[in-house]
Amino acid sequence: MKEKKKVLSAQEELKQNEFQKEAVVHINALYNYALHLTLNPDDAEDLVQETYLKAYKFFDSFERGTNCKAWLFKILKNNYINKFRKNAREPGKVDYDLIKDFYHTIKDVQSDTTEAEADFFHSLMHEEVHQALNSLPEEFREVIQLCDIEGFTYEEIANMVESPIGTVRSRLYRGRKLLRAKLEDYARKHGYETDSEE
Amino acid sequence: MNCKKAMVLMSAAIDGELSVKESEELTHHLAACSECASEFQDAKKTKIIIRERIVRFEAPQALVESIVKLTSLTS
Repeated sequence: MKEKKKVLSAQEELKQNEFQKEAVVHINALYNYALHLTLNPDDAEDLVQETYLKAYKFFDSFERGTNCKAWLFKILKNNYINKFRKNAREPGKVDYDLIKDFYHTIKDVQSDTTEAEADFFHSLMHEEVHQALNSLPEEFREVIQLCDIEGFTYEEIANMVESPIGTVRSRLYRGRKLLRAKLEDYARKHGYETDSEE
Repeated sequence: MNCKKAMVLMSAAIDGELSVKESEELTHHLAACSECASEFQDAKKTKIIIRERIVRFEAPQALVESIVKLTSLTS
């Protein structure tokens, strides 16, 4: 009996180690995704916590060799829908001050190196890009984040948002068009003429 | 291909998500249309600026610790 317990806990230990290596390493990406969905740090924390609990519970069903990050994002998205949509409960109040504080803490240590040459893009502040992105309707904001920030393929995104690849492609196109217009508004405020070409 | 279709394809092109045929069509159009070629450069920059300027937050330490704890507790 004692021996059986020892074997089981060794298996559990293996599972825990694998989970740490495969899943917990993506915690920052998941937290950022949750922040973008909920726009509220407390809700984001809850969502990430619930996601990991569920992921650990069903870790045996994770297909080894596939993208664990994509698997976790899908679970988080489902949790988000169940929590905030199904019960028609709105996420907590958007804490803009808290988000702003994050930026003030972080922006000084951000690297400003960019492949883009010095032009109006350079004039944009981290906070402005963040605000521009957050001002987009969720369906556009989400695909842009998953694609441009998290680097998922269209197929992975389509699976996460449960829409055909063609829809993902079209949302990205339309979302980027809206985003570009908003970024240009900010650039104009900095005195850049965005209609002229370099 | 007209400019409208080229605009739609550009978005997928910067993500490397075009089919071979679409990619050829777009390349062909961009070579002939300087306005779209310029727009394509700006579209690429927009993607770069999003990736670079969006601040990535670190998950709070308390959250990280709670997850390690939660996964241990469920064993």
